[in-house]
Amino acid sequence: MAQDVKPTRKNLMQIEDRIELSERGHDTLEKKRDGLIMEFMDILDQAQDVRADLEDTYEDAQERIDMARAMDGDVAVRGAAAALKEHPEISTQSKNIMGVVVPQIESTKVRKSLDERGYGVLGTSARIDEVAESYEKLLEQIILAAEVETAMKELLEEIETTKRRVNALEFTLLPQLNENKEYIEQKLEEQEREEIFRMKKIKANKEAAEKEEREAAREAEQAATQ
Amino acid sequence: MSKEIAVIGSGDFTTGFRLAGVRKFANVPAEPDREEMDAAVTELLEDSEVGIIVMHEPDLEHLSREVRERVETSVDPVLVTLGGGAGSGGLRDQIKRAIGIDLMEEDEQS
Repeated sequence: MAQDVKPTRKNLMQIEDRIELSERGHDTLEKKRDGLIMEFMDILDQAQDVRADLEDTYEDAQERIDMARAMDGDVAVRGAAAALKEHPEISTQSKNIMGVVVPQIESTKVRKSLDERGYGVLGTSARIDEVAESYEKLLEQIILAAEVETAMKELLEEIETTKRRVNALEFTLLPQLNENKEYIEQKLEEQEREEIFRMKKIKANKEAAEKEEREAAREAEQAATQ
Repeated sequence: MSKEIAVIGSGDFTTGFRLAGVRKFANVPAEPDREEMDAAVTELLEDSEVGIIVMHEPDLEHLSREVRERVETSVDPVLVTLGGGAGSGGLRDQIKRAIGIDLMEEDEQS
């Protein structure tokens, strides 16, 4: 790569400017990467708690629905499920973590009271109410998990790009620029040395010519006096 | 902007969620074939009203590679899987790739 640049002083100055800029960018990006990773660690802890809760709640809810199926019959459970009128809704807002936009999910109508559920209270047993309640709880936690895991995905993506940029600067761009800089510096030094040598040569030539002239003049003088 | 939760899974899996009021659901047979599963997931992915997709972790195995990757990396809607333990949904691989360490594994041991 070093051969691609012309060894001129102007190019050297440009490359020095670029090196300075790249180093600054590299430092800033490195800080950003570390900051992101720290944020990510916080979220990771949170996510693991949420995950554990979620799995527990899911198992609990499954147990309850199996119980209801066994006691009340599959048809009753399905019938109640088909009668639901209120539907949970979620709305997303965004939050900014170090330039990464992560969603914040708000939910409405997840938890419902008995009369909001829509199936007949008389025709169904309390077990179905319990199932509905535990699944409502599960939904709440799913929403929480969705929020945290989306944030994790976004952060991870950002960390990956930042890391790639840091590495590109550190291992490709900066070494290349430094190599170019060194090449130009050496080339310029060599040119300088050549220049000095040339000057010396010219000076020597000139002095020799002067000496010759003086000698010729003296010879001419001597010839004239004789 | 209000969105809904969608559930994909076997009839047994979705019934509970319907009791909690989830309206959008796709029932697939307990041993679904790949195309059916792909179609159900793709449809929900493209539904702009869906904000969260809930799936049963083992069902992910029935998806074709392409759709699986798409649903795992999707942010809107986001996928939440149940019954798979920690580090599900492709997150673990992504963490390994981005940070360079398998953070999830460490936590499983402790």
